Amino acid sequence: MSKIIGAVEIGTSKAKALIGEVAENGSLNVVGMASRPNEGMRKGEIVDFRKAAVAVHSALEDAEKMSGTTVDEVYLAQTGSHLKGHMLRGTASVASSDSRVDVTDLQRAAQEAKRKQPDQGRTYVHHVRTPILLDGRIVQDPVGMIGAKVDLGYWSIDGDDQAIKQALHVISNYSLDVKDLILSSIASSTMMAGPDLRRAGTLVIDMGAGVTDYALYRQGFVVSTGVVPVGGDHVTGDLSMGLRILEPYAEKLKLEHGKALPDPMDEGEDVWIIGNKTIGDRAIPRKAITDVIHVRVVELFEIISKELDGLLDPNELKGGILLTGGASLLPGVEQIAGKILGFSARRANFPSGIASELAQPENATVLGLLHYGLEDNGLPGPKKEGAETGFMGKFRKMVGLGTQE
Amino acid sequence: MSQENLFPKETNFSPENEIPGIRAKIIGIGGTGLSLVDGLRFDNFQSVEHLVMDVDTRALSESIAGEKLSFGRRHTRGMGTGGEHTLARKAIEEEKDVIRKKLEGIDLVFLLAGLGGGTGGGAAPVVARLAREAGALVFAFAPLPFSWEKSRHSMAEECLADLRKFANAVVPLPNDSLLQMGGADATALECFAEAGRNVSQGISAICSLVFRRGMIDVDFVHLRKAFNRRSGRTLFGYGEGEGEDAIRQAVRELLLCPMLHLPDVSRAADALLILITGGTGMGMAELQQVSTEIREEFKAGEHIVFGAHVDENMGDRVQITVLGATDLEAGLPTADVAPQAREVIAAVPKSKVAHPSKLTKQKKNISVQKVPSSARNRKKEDLDQNTFDFMEEENQRGIFGDLPSRNLYAGEDLDVPAYLRRGVKIAI
Repeated sequence: MSKIIGAVEIGTSKAKALIGEVAENGSLNVVGMASRPNEGMRKGEIVDFRKAAVAVHSALEDAEKMSGTTVDEVYLAQTGSHLKGHMLRGTASVASSDSRVDVTDLQRAAQEAKRKQPDQGRTYVHHVRTPILLDGRIVQDPVGMIGAKVDLGYWSIDGDDQAIKQALHVISNYSLDVKDLILSSIASSTMMAGPDLRRAGTLVIDMGAGVTDYALYRQGFVVSTGVVPVGGDHVTGDLSMGLRILEPYAEKLKLEHGKALPDPMDEGEDVWIIGNKTIGDRAIPRKAITDVIHVRVVELFEIISKELDGLLDPNELKGGILLTGGASLLPGVEQIAGKILGFSARRANFPSGIASELAQPENATVLGLLHYGLEDNGLPGPKKEGAETGFMGKFRKMVGLGTQE
Repeated sequence: MSQENLFPKETNFSPENEIPGIRAKIIGIGGTGLSLVDGLRFDNFQSVEHLVMDVDTRALSESIAGEKLSFGRRHTRGMGTGGEHTLARKAIEEEKDVIRKKLEGIDLVFLLAGLGGGTGGGAAPVVARLAREAGALVFAFAPLPFSWEKSRHSMAEECLADLRKFANAVVPLPNDSLLQMGGADATALECFAEAGRNVSQGISAICSLVFRRGMIDVDFVHLRKAFNRRSGRTLFGYGEGEGEDAIRQAVRELLLCPMLHLPDVSRAADALLILITGGTGMGMAELQQVSTEIREEFKAGEHIVFGAHVDENMGDRVQITVLGATDLEAGLPTADVAPQAREVIAAVPKSKVAHPSKLTKQKKNISVQKVPSSARNRKKEDLDQNTFDFMEEENQRGIFGDLPSRNLYAGEDLDVPAYLRRGVKIAI
């Protein structure tokens, strides 16, 4: 029997809902997709609950209508500058007398790692597993191997209680359950960077309207993630202020003429703000537009570079830098990213098999949500049916808020 | 008390200044304030007095202002405060009585103080409070340090918040914006001169309104009514046009004025002052149209002070100055100032005595302001319900000024345009 799953991203510019059908053979079919402009959100955080809820609900409604089905559970993307990542580690000595690693050993290690409670007023959003060490060696699946000690780590992201609850309430108000909270950056990297890229080491930067998320992978595992509260809206705001024009015109200029890299060809060339030469229309040098954007984009990558200080190792980043998200469409961003971070950067491509109308950078996160939900992110070892599926199965819930609600 | 308290009292008494009517005083505090006051050219307003105060006696002695007050000699032995605004605050608190005396009978106070320095930052809020208590309308022009001067900048922000509590309108003049002024290859000197010109322009606009008779005339009572009890985000800008299409050109330049496009500047004004000065050839229809346009641009509320003056010396030039203030969410005037401010209205014995209708309106306003935090938004919603609702929404998206928290990263507010913080000049 096929299964219907949903994904929701409450983005700063748009709320997106996606409905997918998982066939019995595990393949995923997107059957419904809708996006609605969201005005209740700033920089990845909900500021107007009602507006955000209306946007999400109508997106969900449209997606359900399109698919002709209803969903009961959704994966929800989580972002915002309130999120902070930490590495949690857990160790367990192998219990069995023949020194063979058992699933229970891994579970004990996992429990120990997750034992640390977040600070007051914070909640865990997401635990991402990092490699398992068996007596100091990295192993893919230690179950059945001989050793004395297993070591595993979780890159754990916690966030502000209130902010997370608000996002969850938006969904629960539509009488849906949140199956799992997934970090936006991890969702989009799942989509844009295939397993081989992640193994080679890659940095995925998702440039959204309100925030920029990034996730750094090494040997297939997350090393660091982060959120910079700067996005495409900031570019628009800067343009509006720098060129002294109204917000909507700034947005239009950004989309039509925006460039992140100064182009000598633009010297002395002007563009019109509105274009129909009505009252209030005026010509603006292309150079001014580019200058405003350039400074902002350079600063954004400088911040990311500072945040990832010391983690960018040429030997561990053979996959280069992948850019995605709506703001990555700005011409020239990849050159700037490459120059400032010191690695080759390119715009990420969707894997084949995604319909062209879906394969837009701004959809990376919401598509990634479904794929992440499908992937097995649990502990290795034989899968048990029954009681364990909630924790270990293919659609297992991450330990975190998703299960507590 | 020490001797220096006696000294200014004696020299200050000048009977020829006692013209009945409105009295205005320009007060420069600290090094920046001093040089701004010295840079003003205000010979044509007789009832405007100049007062400079500083802890640095040497700087004070070089100033050309009419009145000088040195304070804090006990603390600094006549030298500067070295950026310690607590020191300046302590020193000025000790001189309260002297300052009160200097503010006696003054209706209009212009405070010029650089908030990055110790003296300006520490003393300006105190002087503003004293002036407010003395019943004066206080307009402050406050240069702010560059945002890369991190510690100074954050100190200045604190002082600005303080100053906003007491002044009727505070126009912040961030040094960051200096770079956006003047031509592409403007020198530093020109930029700073431009900043001085801005202050001068603002003060002269307000003074013209109050002291000169104009074609469309407003007087001090109007001004006070519009700006009374308002402190918070302000907007200030001016534009100049010349030739046949002078007035349109002036509007265009006004809308492009860098001072109107700073992160701290509000886009809408609950109280708005518009002054248009032009030559004899200024057309009435144009005037009307332009004023409507400006009012719409700034979504002015019910308090508009509109003045149009004809100055024969202007030839075919037209100058437009706007100064606006918004009710502020956080910057509600503190309780100790509020009752005094209300008394002031009743006590103005001018030709246009505040009649009952004005008073009720004022009261309503006060009650609105007492509603915390969301007062400003709610008020605006009421105003725009049927008219500019969609505009409002459009304008707010992406402008981060209305968000309560700042987006700080390593001491810099990321919501402030990067080009301003990095000092990149945008030539438009």
